[in-house]
Amino acid sequence: MLDIKNLNKIYPNGYHALSNISFSVPKGEFLVVIGLSGSGKSTMLRTFNRLHDVTSGEILFNGVDTTKLKGSALRKMRSEIGMIFQHFNLIPRKTVLENVLSGNLSRTGIFKSILGIYAKEDKEKAMRYIEIVGLKGKEKNRADNLSGGQQQRVAIARALMQNPKILLADEPVASLDPSTSNSVMQYLKKVNEELGVTVICNLHFLSLVRQYAHRVVALKAGKLIYDGKPTEINEEWFKTIYGEDAVEVTIN
Amino acid sequence: MSQIIAKKPSHPAILYTKAILLDAFLWSYIALVAYKVIYDRIILDNRYPEFTWSQPLNALLLGLAISLLFIFTSFSVGKSTMGLLKKKNEDDVSGFKINHLIFYTALILTFVTGYIVSQISVREFFSESGIEGAKRIFTALLNPNFQIFEQGLFAAIETIYMAFIATVVAIPIAFILGFFAARNLMNGNPFNFFIYNTIRAILNISRSIEPLVWAIIFSVWVGIGPFSGMLALCLHSIASLTKQYSEQIESIDNGPIEAITATGAHPIQIVWFGVVPQIVLPYLSYTIYRWDINVRMATIIGLVGGGGIGNLLMQYQGQARWNEVGMLVIIIASIVWVMDWASSKLREALK
Repeated sequence: MLDIKNLNKIYPNGYHALSNISFSVPKGEFLVVIGLSGSGKSTMLRTFNRLHDVTSGEILFNGVDTTKLKGSALRKMRSEIGMIFQHFNLIPRKTVLENVLSGNLSRTGIFKSILGIYAKEDKEKAMRYIEIVGLKGKEKNRADNLSGGQQQRVAIARALMQNPKILLADEPVASLDPSTSNSVMQYLKKVNEELGVTVICNLHFLSLVRQYAHRVVALKAGKLIYDGKPTEINEEWFKTIYGEDAVEVTIN
Repeated sequence: MSQIIAKKPSHPAILYTKAILLDAFLWSYIALVAYKVIYDRIILDNRYPEFTWSQPLNALLLGLAISLLFIFTSFSVGKSTMGLLKKKNEDDVSGFKINHLIFYTALILTFVTGYIVSQISVREFFSESGIEGAKRIFTALLNPNFQIFEQGLFAAIETIYMAFIATVVAIPIAFILGFFAARNLMNGNPFNFFIYNTIRAILNISRSIEPLVWAIIFSVWVGIGPFSGMLALCLHSIASLTKQYSEQIESIDNGPIEAITATGAHPIQIVWFGVVPQIVLPYLSYTIYRWDINVRMATIIGLVGGGGIGNLLMQYQGQARWNEVGMLVIIIASIVWVMDWASSKLREALK
């Protein structure tokens, strides 16, 4: 589904964020990316939907190189890749329903979307996804008045509204408490298993990684240093990825 | 004098050049002002001292000479400002007293110059004929002529509507310009950045010209009356609102923009859903405040023929009819008070 070949990203200030990263993600996989803060996880995730441009290398999404796409072709590619963020990034002052509907912007005309005219079936679809993420009855609530976990679920519903083939999750639980974290991860698992969406997720907590990941890749200083099963990350690998002084913390 | 420590240390040669220039400027200023004010004006008591261009030139040369001499000593203000003076002890500030002295000398000289230039005269302030005139005017002002209340009120209404229409016309223009004047939206490519800089430059120029001057220009263009005043206010409002709007855009959270971009939305949709919801309330607040300012400015602009109550005020003032002027001042004061109160209440409610 996603083939990454020799990916390099150098920021204008000369910082080499990603160097020669290659791996592929098969359809339906739940892939988790781990690594220290600043190791390039977020940058890499953002190159997949071109929120960041790459310096060199190829990203093949269903066989098409996305690094050269422009204009409407770029937007079409983005619409097939959903994304959720650490800080949820919902539209402030808008209702849950309006936020979820904004996932469908690429298929709504510019003037219709500005005037707030949405097709009936889109509204029904949005209501269905709101129900799936367990927020039925909150459609008319302002999204920024919800709790963190609920906001992240709205973000998941918004991403699902795109009918994504891939869902990118950039540290989706990093600003949530442990129990909410688990519930958000459960929804991601549900999206992966029941809707068949490929999930690529940045995570910090290894306990969550072991629980949810089919496969793990680890980045260190912009290089891919581990690619394998979560169960195979032993003490030695842990020290390599997170440094000698790191101690594993668990989250339940 | 506090030390300015640059984040990235510049080359010592650049720092020394800056230090010399700063010192040269300071010393030339002290030399010129001391000569013109202390010697010429006070000691020789020339009411209109002669001026030749060689004086500032000589002062500049003298300043440069002193600064070149002082750059090797610890008396250099430039050196301490550029952080070139090595302290023996981090907490020791006693060594810089000389610099303080030079700085305060410049400050005191400036004060004395200001006092003389403003022709401050305590004698005239308390002179008998002066106080007599003030008494006459205040008595008249405190006995306003209520017969022109209606006339004044209608002129005031004209002023309020003029300010309102100037604000309303400015809103959509400033709204659109605001996006192009926001650095975070426009630094994508050189062409956008060029547009950004051009708009910023035009706005800065039109903002630095007072609305009063614009009103004079427009009164020649479209004739004396409320229309020229409205145009002047409108232009000033566009420039000010665009600046405030664009600064608001520059301070928004990038997250929603990222999220909407990721859905594959069109750039116009990204602005509408990612940017606009974050700026609506501050925009409203700025706009109401701008209307408030415009009403106040409109009365002033009327003085130069911009119509409204200011125009009326100028007419009566020209005829020295102080009772009528008193009436108009009361009306203006109450409008400003009401607008001030209403706009602060409105802006509070919007928070």
